[in-house]
Amino acid sequence: MATDLRISNISKIYPGCIANDNVSLQFKSGKIYALLGENGAGKSTLVKILSGVISPDNGEVYLNEKNLKLSSPLDAKKNKIGMVFQHFNLFETLSVFENLSIDATEDNKSLRIKINEILKKYNFSIDLDVPVLNLSAGQKQKVEIIRCLLRSPKVLIMDEPTSVLTEQETEELFISLKKFCDEGILIIYITHKLKEVLSLCDEVAVMRKGKVISVSQTQNEKVETLANKMVGQKLAKIKKKINISKIKDEIFKVKHLNFHSDDPFETNLINLNFSVKKGECLGIAGISGNGQNELFQILSGEIITPDTSIIFRNKEIAKLNPKQRREYLMAFSPEDRISQAAVPELKIYENVALNNFKSSNFFEKGLVNERKIKEHSKKILSDFSVNTENVELKSQFLSGGNLQKLILGRELITAPELLICYNPTWGLDVGAINYIHETLIKINDQEKSTILISTDTEELLKLSDRIAVIYKGKLSKIMPSEEVTPEKLGVLMGGGSID
Amino acid sequence: MSLDISFIGILIGSIMASSVPLILAASGELITERSGVLNLGVEGMMIIGAISGFALMVLTDNLFIAIVGSMLSGIIISLIFGFLTQSLLTNHVATGLALTIFGIGLSAMLGKNYVGIPGKEFPVLFSGLKEIIPFFGPILFGHSVVLYFAFTLPFLTNYFLKKTKLGLVVRAVGDSPVSASNQGINVILIRYSCILYGGAMCGLAGAYLSLIYTPQWIENMTAGRGWIALALVVFATWSPIKVLIGALIFGGITILQLHMQAIGFRIPVQFLSALPYLMTIIVLVVISRDSRKIKLNTPTSLGRIFYKEK
Repeated sequence: MATDLRISNISKIYPGCIANDNVSLQFKSGKIYALLGENGAGKSTLVKILSGVISPDNGEVYLNEKNLKLSSPLDAKKNKIGMVFQHFNLFETLSVFENLSIDATEDNKSLRIKINEILKKYNFSIDLDVPVLNLSAGQKQKVEIIRCLLRSPKVLIMDEPTSVLTEQETEELFISLKKFCDEGILIIYITHKLKEVLSLCDEVAVMRKGKVISVSQTQNEKVETLANKMVGQKLAKIKKKINISKIKDEIFKVKHLNFHSDDPFETNLINLNFSVKKGECLGIAGISGNGQNELFQILSGEIITPDTSIIFRNKEIAKLNPKQRREYLMAFSPEDRISQAAVPELKIYENVALNNFKSSNFFEKGLVNERKIKEHSKKILSDFSVNTENVELKSQFLSGGNLQKLILGRELITAPELLICYNPTWGLDVGAINYIHETLIKINDQEKSTILISTDTEELLKLSDRIAVIYKGKLSKIMPSEEVTPEKLGVLMGGGSID
Repeated sequence: MSLDISFIGILIGSIMASSVPLILAASGELITERSGVLNLGVEGMMIIGAISGFALMVLTDNLFIAIVGSMLSGIIISLIFGFLTQSLLTNHVATGLALTIFGIGLSAMLGKNYVGIPGKEFPVLFSGLKEIIPFFGPILFGHSVVLYFAFTLPFLTNYFLKKTKLGLVVRAVGDSPVSASNQGINVILIRYSCILYGGAMCGLAGAYLSLIYTPQWIENMTAGRGWIALALVVFATWSPIKVLIGALIFGGITILQLHMQAIGFRIPVQFLSALPYLMTIIVLVVISRDSRKIKLNTPTSLGRIFYKEK
């Protein structure tokens, strides 16, 4: 039976922010719909309304012309609207089966049979009796999907499903979604990733600042047209800068970097040697889990390895901790913004002060000079166009892009000679990515150096002067980026060899 | 002093009796904490249970009414905690502490006229068998009904949490209230119920003290047992069976060290008095070393305030 979902004039206003402004959309089964928008465009609010988690201030939802009253998640379930949230709604300490049985109506025996049928049909392999905390992100997502499928949904909403998946898992997800679609489930796919929209979806609605900007067939769209709609202005194309071919001084040199760990989840690093010149960006490519984490921690001083030599500005710094390295004008931007780079519960200005114990006059005789920190924080917020002026705001309320801007701004306070960043644009939308890239290029233009550890090949090719690939803890030879192609990188990242 | 077999039997029987309030209060608190609520008011709820049980016994001369009344008073006082933490979203720790202080003060006030009144003998079951069978008699028989209930409670609690749907829901709420709410579970209702259940058990634990164990009212007669119960839950890593083991060890060493003091061992009394606390913690830490199991049993959201998105 065909499904027809209609949203009519939905509005939701939060203090100081219109999350949804008169949103009307129509969806029909047999197609995959994309809801595209930057972080904070109002997509998540809309799907929370559809799944009954929050109620709109205004507007109606119709399923097959029946007006739905969605005042709790139960109502959405009853009306066969299934939802997979970006942040999983699973119980980590309960087993997969317990997670699935918690809202099931049938007894455990027949439930198990039903789950096994689903597992078989869609080729999922998940052990039902292990606790969820032992599963990978991809498997957790499958548990969420199974939970929806158990209720034979008419509508399945996926909120940013690929933000936690590997490429392999993403492909698997797309195959499953297309299957569901063929079976008549209406799929609404929320994302800010343009390529996914083009490769998966049939129709795309773009949202910006709470409003629907356009609805169109994906076949008529290109990455650029969608990006412009999403951001609302023409994105400046970032030009890859001209390689500095002049012979420059080496500012940073690593020799005999070895790391051995007994933890099976860590990667051993085997004899890494590399150097960075003044004003240069050294890119380190690789599929995640090949030693990038460990490398970043060793370069930042979180892990000290014996027998390694790290020379920075003609000084041996291999035994120094992160704070001491910062004093020598290194700066770091870790991958995990929330737990490593910033303290989400602290206010913006407090986060700004965190890594500047010495270099500035934030602290006097052990006391905090709040006024100076705040002044400086305000400057960062405006210089790095973070979308708030309120330095008292807790950092957890910043979106990923804004938090990353804040972190970069903070790291650049000290005018570092070398910035080491790890996946700086992970999970960000195009507008923010563009901004971060521009900033990184600017750093190089000012004759400061960067090391960019990233899993995003495109980003590496755009920003790096030289690129090396890390694979299973070993570094390939370092290549000038004009000799590197995406294909070459792909081969090296997969463990193959070129030439 | 003769350490014959029948003496050991009697000793074990008295150890069991002394651990009853701990088992009751800790089992109740365990359910509360499993739902993600940290109620530090155990001591306060126990002492309120103790005075209201005793007062009702004196007023009505009916032990059944006294027992039920003590549980009801535990429920009522825990309702205050529930309303503050769940409806008004106050901090669990501060509210629980306040509840204990409030309970101790209130019980002292209510109990003023009951000091010195002798208690009533509480009926025991199978007292005949206690005398006939050597060794096992004093262990298994001649106890109050509350004791038998207390010793089945950890197993019932275990079964409830592991095997029943409602137990699953309680664990889910303690793991992630947000997810539970998004699954359509009424988190507030579940948490309220668990808080009230915990209150009832603490009330009963208090009544056991004032009606059965030492049948009289003495101000502050719970003497920190509520705090021990709280610690037991944590050191037993939220496992009901380990709570039982911990309570028995605590009761056991308390009784043993009293005997040691009486015999006149050349160990400082202060050290002997501290022994039960020390040993219980050591044993529980040793038997709960499996970090994986700890992680699975610990209510992830313990003590965190939950509020529903609107």
